[in-house]
Amino acid sequence: MTAAILTVDDSPSLRMAIRIALTGAGYDVTEAGDGVEGLSAAAAKKFDLIITDLNMPNMDGLTMIRELRKAPEQAGVPIIFLTTESDDAMKQQAKAVGATGWLVKPFVPEQLIKVSRKVLGR
Amino acid sequence: MPQANPAQSATQWDAEGHLEVLTFNLGEETFALEATLVREILDLLPETRVPGAAPLLGSVVNFRGKIIPIADLRLAFAMPAAEATLDSRIVVIETETEGETFQIGIRTDKVHEVATLSRDASEEPPAVGMRWRRDFVRELVRRDDGVVVLPDLAAIFRSLTGGADAAAGPSSTLH
Amino acid sequence: MSLQDPVAAFRIEAGELLDQIEQGLLDLGHRLDDRDLVDEVFRGLHTLKGSGAMFGFDALAEFTHHCETAFDRVRKGLAPATQELVAVILSARDHMRALIEGNGSGLEATGAAILAELQAAIDGASDSPPAVEPAGAVPVVPVAAAGSGSGWRLSFRLPADAMANGTNPLMLLDELRELGECRIVARTDKVPPLADLVPTECHIGWDVELRGDISRADIDDVFIFVMDDMELSVTPLEVAADDVPGAAPVAGADGSAAVQGVAPPVLAAIDSAAPGKSPAATPSAAPKSGESVRVPAERLDELMDRVGELVIVQSRLSQLASGQASASGNELALRSISEEIERLAGELRDTMMVLRMVPVASLFSRFRRLVHDLARETGKTIALSTEGETTEVDKTMIERLADPMVHLIRNACDHGLETPQDRLAAGKPAAGQVHLSAHQAGGEVLITIRDDGRGIDRERVRAKAEVQGLIQPDQAISDHDLLQMIFHPGFSTAAQVTNLSGRGVGMDVVKRTIESLRGTIDVTSKPGEGSTVVLRIPLTLAIIDGLLVRVGEGRYVIPLGAVEECLELSLEEHLRSRGRSFITLRDRLVPFLRLREIFDTGTRPDPHQKIVVIATGAERVGLVVDQIIGSHQTVIKSMSPLHRDVATFAGATILGDGGVALILDVVQLVTLGQHQEERLRAAG
Repeated sequence: MTAAILTVDDSPSLRMAIRIALTGAGYDVTEAGDGVEGLSAAAAKKFDLIITDLNMPNMDGLTMIRELRKAPEQAGVPIIFLTTESDDAMKQQAKAVGATGWLVKPFVPEQLIKVSRKVLGR
Repeated sequence: MPQANPAQSATQWDAEGHLEVLTFNLGEETFALEATLVREILDLLPETRVPGAAPLLGSVVNFRGKIIPIADLRLAFAMPAAEATLDSRIVVIETETEGETFQIGIRTDKVHEVATLSRDASEEPPAVGMRWRRDFVRELVRRDDGVVVLPDLAAIFRSLTGGADAAAGPSSTLH
Repeated sequence: MSLQDPVAAFRIEAGELLDQIEQGLLDLGHRLDDRDLVDEVFRGLHTLKGSGAMFGFDALAEFTHHCETAFDRVRKGLAPATQELVAVILSARDHMRALIEGNGSGLEATGAAILAELQAAIDGASDSPPAVEPAGAVPVVPVAAAGSGSGWRLSFRLPADAMANGTNPLMLLDELRELGECRIVARTDKVPPLADLVPTECHIGWDVELRGDISRADIDDVFIFVMDDMELSVTPLEVAADDVPGAAPVAGADGSAAVQGVAPPVLAAIDSAAPGKSPAATPSAAPKSGESVRVPAERLDELMDRVGELVIVQSRLSQLASGQASASGNELALRSISEEIERLAGELRDTMMVLRMVPVASLFSRFRRLVHDLARETGKTIALSTEGETTEVDKTMIERLADPMVHLIRNACDHGLETPQDRLAAGKPAAGQVHLSAHQAGGEVLITIRDDGRGIDRERVRAKAEVQGLIQPDQAISDHDLLQMIFHPGFSTAAQVTNLSGRGVGMDVVKRTIESLRGTIDVTSKPGEGSTVVLRIPLTLAIIDGLLVRVGEGRYVIPLGAVEECLELSLEEHLRSRGRSFITLRDRLVPFLRLREIFDTGTRPDPHQKIVVIATGAERVGLVVDQIIGSHQTVIKSMSPLHRDVATFAGATILGDGGVALILDVVQLVTLGQHQEERLRAAG
C-alpha cells in the first residue's frame, strides 16, 4: 500500500516542491496550508507520515503537533518538522511536544525522501 | 519547435543543404515556404475587408476563433488580382516579427506537395533584370520543372508597416 | 493553468509575500507596538528566506536572513520596533524584489548599504547590538570518530515516549542492518509486569554487533532524531566485551521476528509492507511563469456544472443528428436544444467573466506604499483612506489602471495637498487627506481619487491654455470645460517641477490610457477644498455590448456604451448637409462622418441612411451608416499585429454566422470628427 503523507506548510511553492519530490518517490501526498488545515486533514484521514513547517499563520507547527499528539489515534504516527532554525532550542521544543524528527531547510529532494524512508521504513 | 525565422531573412538549410518546403502557385510562378511554418491548408473562407489596411493585407478571416489577416502576395510580385478558382487555397503559416508570434493566411492559386529543395540549386536573386523587388526574394531555386521562389515574408510585411504609402489611413480618404 | 514548476510558484508566492511584508510594515509604522503585525512581518520574511533558499535564491535568502534576525529580536521583545527599522526594512523589501527578479546592476552594493542602515537602526534601538550572523547555516552532524575497520558494538535504549512520538525501533534496527551484518540481542530486563505495562512505551533495549567498515557518523545518522534523549553506547568491536549480561539472545540478521514477538502491541500495528513504488512522476517541462489568477473553488465548481450540462445537451444533439429520435418531434427537439445551448453559453460566459474578476483591493494596496514614500519625499503628512476595496474588476483592467492611478495620486499628493504649515494657516488639519474609492454602477466601475488640498488654480490653467492657444483671451468657457484643459497634451500647471512630477507623463497620457480601456475621466475641483478625479471604466475588457451596423457590405460593431442615440438621416437633411458635415442636434452642431466614404465601400448608399451619435466625454460625433442591425454581445478579439496601423478599429469579433465584424474605435472616430470640424471651421 502506498504510504500517505500529509505536508503542512504555508508556502505553496514549498508544498509543491515537497509534493513533486514525494509523489515522484511513489508516496501519496496531501497538502495543508497551516496548522488548522493540517489538523482537520489529519482528522479526516489517517496518514503514515506528517511533514510540517513550524512558522505558519493561524496555527503554528508546534501547536499543531501538540494537538495531534493529544489524539490517541495519532500515537506512533511519525511527524517530521521543517525548520530553518538550526538552533537547538527550536528542535528541543518541537521534540518535547511530540515530533519524531526534523529536516533543515534548505534541503534537496533526496534528503526529504531519505528522511521519509527512514521514518516510514519504506 | 524548430522554426525558420523569416525576420532574419536567412534560409535555414539543414546540415545536408536541404530544405523541406510547401510549394504553391501564384499565377504562373511557383513559390515555396518552409514546411515548418505551415500550420494548415484551408479552402477559401469568407473574407472581411479591413478598410484602411494595405491592399496586400486587405482582409481578415475567422480561423478557429482567431482573427487572422489574409495576404495576397500577388500584389507584392506585381501580378494582377485574379478570381478565385476551385484550386484556390489559403495556407495558414505561423511566423514572428519583433518577438511576436502570429498567424497569417496566404492566398494561393494552387497548393502542391511538400518538396525538398537543395542549396546547390539555389541562387541569390540577381541584382538586375528581375521584375520584382529584390528584397522580397530570399532565394531562387532551380528545379527540373522551373524556378521556385522563396519569398521574404518579413521584408514584404515590413514594407507595409514602414512605408507610409502602403498603409493608407482613413484620414487620407477624408479630403 | 496548472503550475508544475516550484520555482515559478515561488516567484508568484514571493510577490505575495513581499506585498504582505510591505502592508505589514506600513501598518506597523502606525502601530509600532502591535505584536501581531511584528509576527506577520517576521513570518513573511521567514518564509521568503526559507523558500528562497530552497529554490536557489541564495542571495535573497542571505539578505533576508539579516532582516529576519532583526525582526526576530523585536518579536522576542529584545528590541523595540522603530520607525527607522520599518523604513529600512521597507527599502530592504524593495531590494528583495530586485534580488528575486535578478535585474538591476550593483545589487550587492545596494544590499550592503541597506544592511549597514539596518545595523545602524538596530544599534540605535538597543544597547547590545547583536552581531549580524551569517545565513543559511546548515547544521552539521558531528563526526565523532573515523570508521572502525571491523565494526561496532552498540547498546541502546530509546526514550519512553519515542514510540508514541513516531519512532519505530524496528526501523532503526533495519537501518543498522542496511549498514552491515548485525547480531541483534534484545534486552528485556526492564519490561515491567503486565499490569504495569504501558503499551505505547518502549521497554526493551538492544545490543547490536555491527560488522563491516562503517563510520561512526553512519551510526549517528541512524539515531539522529532520538540521539539526545536516548541511552546509546557505541564502542569499536575490538575493545568491546563479548558477553552481554541479562540478554535474551536472538539469532542473526533475521532476528526481527523474535524481536517483534516481545515488542509491545503497538509495533505490530505499524504497517511495514514494502513500499509501493510507482514510476517516478517527473514534472513535465516547466511552463513559463505567466500571469495567474487565484480562483475560489466554488466558482470553478459552477463552471464545471455548466460544462457538465453542456455535455449532456451536446449528446442530445448528437442523438438528434444521428436520427435516433423520432422524426416528427425533431424540429421541436432541435429548438429546445438550441435554447438550452444558448442559455448555457450565456451562463458559461458569465461564469468565465467572473473568474477574471479580482477585487480592487489588490490595486489600492499598492498605493499605500506610494503615499508613504510621497509623504517622506515631500515632508507632508498624508493620510490615505480607501473605500469599496471589494469591488471587483477584470484582472487585465486592474493592471492597466495601475499606472494612470499612480500618476493621479502623485498629482494629488504633490500638487494638490499643501504643506502642513500652509494647511494650518488655511484653517485645515495639518494632515492632508487622499481618499480612494471604488464602486460598481451598472456595467461600470467608478473609481474616485479625492484630495482635500488647495484645488486646481483656474487662473493658472486659463493662462496656460491661452498661451497654448487652446482658448482665446476673451473666450467664455464653462468652469467644467476649463478644468478639462489639464488633459490636453503638454499641459502641466506645476509652477515648479518637483522631484516627483514632471516625469514626462502628463494628464493627457492618463486620459488616453483610460479611454483605451473604454473608460472616461472627469475632474472637478473646489478652490481651497480639493479636487476629485472620477474614472469610469467598464467591468471587463473581454466582452462588450455592441451595436451591430452595416456599412456597404461590411458589418461593424460600435461599443454601445459610447452610443448616445440613433437617428434617421432624412433626405432633406442629407441634401442640406451636402458639402458640409454637420447636423443640428438639440441646438448643437454635431459633426458627422460618412463611414461609407471613410471605408471606401464603393457601393451605393441605402436609401434610408442612419446616424449613430457617439460620444466620449463632452465630445460627440455622428456616424452615418447604411443599416442598424441591432445590439450584439461582442467578444472582443484582437487584430493581428500586422493590422496595428489601422487605427480606426479597436478589435474584431466573430458573428453568429462565423463571419467577422470589426469593432470601431470610438476615440479615434471622435478625434477624426473633431479634426474635420476644426478644418471646416478654419475654412469658414
